[in-house]
Amino acid sequence: MGVMRIGHASIKVMDMAAAIKHYENVIGMKVVHTDAQGNVYLKCWDEWDKFSLILTPADSAGLNHVAYKVQHDSDLEQLKASIEAHGIKTEMLAAGALPFVGRMLKFHLPSGHEMRLFQQKELVGTDVGSTNPDPWPDGLKGAGAHWLDHCLLMCPLDPEKGINTVADNCKFMTQAMGFHLSEQAVVGPNGAIQLAAFLFCGGKPHDIAFVGAPTAGLHHVSFFLDSWADILKAGDVMAKNRVKIDVAPTRHGITRGETIYFFDPSGNRNETFAGLGYLAQPDRPVTTWTEDSLGRGIFYHQGAVTESFTTVYT
Amino acid sequence: MTAATPCSVQLPQTGESYVCAQGETLLQGMIKLGRRGIPVGCVNGGCGVCKVKVRQGSVAAVGAISRQHVTAEEEACGVTLACRAAPLSDVELEVIGKMQRGFFYSITCSGSAPR
Ligand code: FES
Ligand SMILES: [Fe+2]
Repeated sequence: MGVMRIGHASIKVMDMAAAIKHYENVIGMKVVHTDAQGNVYLKCWDEWDKFSLILTPADSAGLNHVAYKVQHDSDLEQLKASIEAHGIKTEMLAAGALPFVGRMLKFHLPSGHEMRLFQQKELVGTDVGSTNPDPWPDGLKGAGAHWLDHCLLMCPLDPEKGINTVADNCKFMTQAMGFHLSEQAVVGPNGAIQLAAFLFCGGKPHDIAFVGAPTAGLHHVSFFLDSWADILKAGDVMAKNRVKIDVAPTRHGITRGETIYFFDPSGNRNETFAGLGYLAQPDRPVTTWTEDSLGRGIFYHQGAVTESFTTVYT
Repeated sequence: MTAATPCSVQLPQTGESYVCAQGETLLQGMIKLGRRGIPVGCVNGGCGVCKVKVRQGSVAAVGAISRQHVTAEEEACGVTLACRAAPLSDVELEVIGKMQRGFFYSITCSGSAPR
């Protein structure tokens, strides 16, 4: 019951042709639809719903909204009630507000980001089908990402003014949305300030993450790969395609994931992420990273983060 | 449109100068030589950290720039993103963009938290 996984992200791009080329040739998605407004819908090969990424033409970069899928239609009513009980206004968008998608519950996180919940999206199946499937399809492009895995949102944090929307979001997602905290980073005197929160609703270490920043924004959308070998190959694909790599292949302490960070042609950060890390369960003790080990938490090998990683986002 | 010959780029604030090859953006030229002076982010016109004002000389736009970071009025006054402009002549730049000194930055990049 409740929220199952990330359903899609809608992001702004400034050059649609370049964006399509990137998400097809580098990530390995396929365009499945273009609507009358020029928004482009894409899907990864291992996803069974119609699309997981919407590119919208704009004069800036960044996130429009992120949507999560719930299991039962009645979950939308229950979540509407619990979200409103948390003091957050909601709006139910009618079926068809987005093509191929049923009704959507729209609201804003305490950090200001727009989130939507839906139960129904056209089922098209994976590229290998469901009957005697091969482990992977022929003709994959680029990194051949399996699925859109999670997103990381930058959330306003200003301890001097008493603002911490990382903590506000974490409280909201756990209390009203049924998510669970897997890992967190705490800083300041006695670790009183929650700087980062990683939350899950399925069985993997995170389905969404929040990190403190001066303003709200999108830090990255992440695509799942199988293994370290696939990460290395994805790095080759990026180099071939002259993609700007922000952080070369390495491992996170947090979630244990293997990673590359890079930018799409509008400057939105992407991640290719491998390794399921561990089985995330509601009764698993929360992992905490303290201020002195934060660098290792983020990039385990180097033990320090690069300037651009912490300060650049859209 | 690009310059026929390499152009020199001057950053008086830090005293840096480097040469930008034909058709290269101001930021690519700097990165390629391993030089510093202009903050480097997405290198694709979206994040705004490489914002500069062209004090002298002229540049050609290369691709879209985020209006969240450079307004049309600013652009008309010579403000642009270094990753989205190629020099047409020798240029002198004022660096406007900054790595935002956010809370996360203070902790992870300076090694000590603000108290
Ligand atoms: S580096 Fe991001 S806009 Fe130039
Ligand atoms: Fe991630």
